[in-house]
Amino acid sequence: MSAPTATAPRPTISVTGLVKSFTDPKRGTLNAVNDVSFDVFPGEVFGLLGPNGAGKTTTLRILATLLKPTSGTAVLNGFDIVRDPGRVRQQIGFLSGETGLYARLTPREILSFFGEMNGITGAPLKTRVADTMERFGITAFADVRTDKLSTGMKQKTAIARTVLHDPPILILDEPTSGLDVPTARTIEQCIVEAKQRGKCIVYSTHVMEEAEYLCDRIAVISDGSLKITGTMQQLREATGKQRLREIFLGLLGME
Amino acid sequence: MRINILKAIYKKEMTDLVRDRRTLISMVAVPLLVMPLMMVVMTRVVDRMETKAKDDAKTMSIAVRATDPAVAQALKKAGLIVSEQSGDVRTAVESKKATAGVEEVPGPTPTLRVFADDSNPGSRSSGDRIRIALNDWKEERVRQGLRASGVAESVLTPFQMQKVNVAPERKMAGMIWGSMLGYLLLLLMFSGGMYPVIDMTAGEKERKTLEAYLSSPAGRDEIVLGKILAAMTAIALTAALTLTSVVLSVRNGFSSKNPQVRSMMQSIPMDPHTVFLIALTLIPLIIFAASAMIAIAIHARSFKEGTSYLTPLILLVIFPAILGGMPGMELTPTLCLIPIFNASQLIRAIMLGEFSMAALGVTLAANLAYAAVAFFIAKRRFDNESVLFRS
Repeated sequence: MSAPTATAPRPTISVTGLVKSFTDPKRGTLNAVNDVSFDVFPGEVFGLLGPNGAGKTTTLRILATLLKPTSGTAVLNGFDIVRDPGRVRQQIGFLSGETGLYARLTPREILSFFGEMNGITGAPLKTRVADTMERFGITAFADVRTDKLSTGMKQKTAIARTVLHDPPILILDEPTSGLDVPTARTIEQCIVEAKQRGKCIVYSTHVMEEAEYLCDRIAVISDGSLKITGTMQQLREATGKQRLREIFLGLLGME
Repeated sequence: MRINILKAIYKKEMTDLVRDRRTLISMVAVPLLVMPLMMVVMTRVVDRMETKAKDDAKTMSIAVRATDPAVAQALKKAGLIVSEQSGDVRTAVESKKATAGVEEVPGPTPTLRVFADDSNPGSRSSGDRIRIALNDWKEERVRQGLRASGVAESVLTPFQMQKVNVAPERKMAGMIWGSMLGYLLLLLMFSGGMYPVIDMTAGEKERKTLEAYLSSPAGRDEIVLGKILAAMTAIALTAALTLTSVVLSVRNGFSSKNPQVRSMMQSIPMDPHTVFLIALTLIPLIIFAASAMIAIAIHARSFKEGTSYLTPLILLVIFPAILGGMPGMELTPTLCLIPIFNASQLIRAIMLGEFSMAALGVTLAANLAYAAVAFFIAKRRFDNESVLFRS
């Protein structure tokens, strides 16, 4: 009888040779994402860093099946984004910097709607919505129209909407953009909690301290291509720099 | 297509719509308040103008220049106020010193020239009264001549004529209503659907809610169908409220004081059979309107842009809708294929009670085909990322 061998963990997200081209009447064909590949594992926070227009949002939109890749693909929890986009969307919670909440609906109505969209109905939906609202401190303003809520309250509702159906993957596109420190802190706590629950998180941000604090691995993207991928330690070793800000600027040639 | 998802989308879209002030105004306030108010104001203005014209004809004087004093006497006998003139009668009417006038032109057979300003209802009415009075006087003089010559007066009336209208009152009412109801319904269906459609397409882009929507497990076809169903509800509601408020306004007396017109207007043929046929005619067009407007409005990035995209469509609807309501047009198999026009014609024929089952069938089939094409295009638009994420 042979001794059991340790097997390598299977990635929850596997991105292979992703390319996205756009045709601009003035500038011709542009590669917004150019041959991007990476894996993300369960319980891991993967940070995507890059300047404006680097290709972060396009990459995350492709993973969320909002955009179709020109070539390459990604497999999310076993489902291919090109062949099975509907099933991929059942695996993800997607949050962008824009909260994307319906101003004329209440948090309870928004959560119920997205719960139903994810196939939760009847009594289980009511329970799930109530529990999620309790968890994020939404209950007190659950029946107030969203356009009457503060930015922090809206952001809490947006996060609750993203995790309501308990997806294995969270895709967060600059979720703290434009938020004050306490509100950004709520999102950071949510990410930490999700990581502890074994979720796979892909996360883009402009805030270096936040990335350094939250991410297990970081990728820097510029002009559509990944410049480097690794843990903070690996990034330090590869660049000879200590702080993420210096590493980032160095990779962009802006030391 | 999953029914639960479709129900959730429809419910969300409708909740969102009924809480939007602009949509409520175009969907409910305009049909319920503005349309009856417009009818009241218009009929009151027309009635007032008619009354004023009649009053003017009674109170303002008629300028007369004639050598025979019997001319003025004949007019006075008819109840007209006469002002004998030495100057030019035409100038007196033109300068509004007299409402109308009569001038004798001498000759072997004298001519009585009647002056009236036909652009002025009061002057036109006075002119008509002068002509009637002078005709009566002429007839009286002929009778006197016949009597003096010993000829029986009956030679003047060898026979009598009687005009009989074979159209029943329902048909007459159908003629009046049929020419405007189709136009009114079609126009308000498209204009009533405009704000809801923009709100759920370009409005979603503007409010940045589309990404979260599209990243949910709902399929694009489910999202499009849910939105089209909500738009159809808004359009149908606008049409139904408009029709109800117009009919109720007319039946409750907000119509002309003219008893004949009033009677015809109030006998609008709205029996269940007619209502059913009109609704049947409109259903494919409601689907077509919702799908076509969604396919166009999803291109817009903002509410403002959406309005400028859809306004030309509404202008395009007006022309065939008016043309279809015109009397004298026959719904041939070829004409049944022209969208909007065919429905307007069919509604007119239904109101007249003269439609054929073949015309109904071809019109419904043609409009259902157009609706299917519009739905397909709308779905394709929602699959097109350059349309959804246009910046």
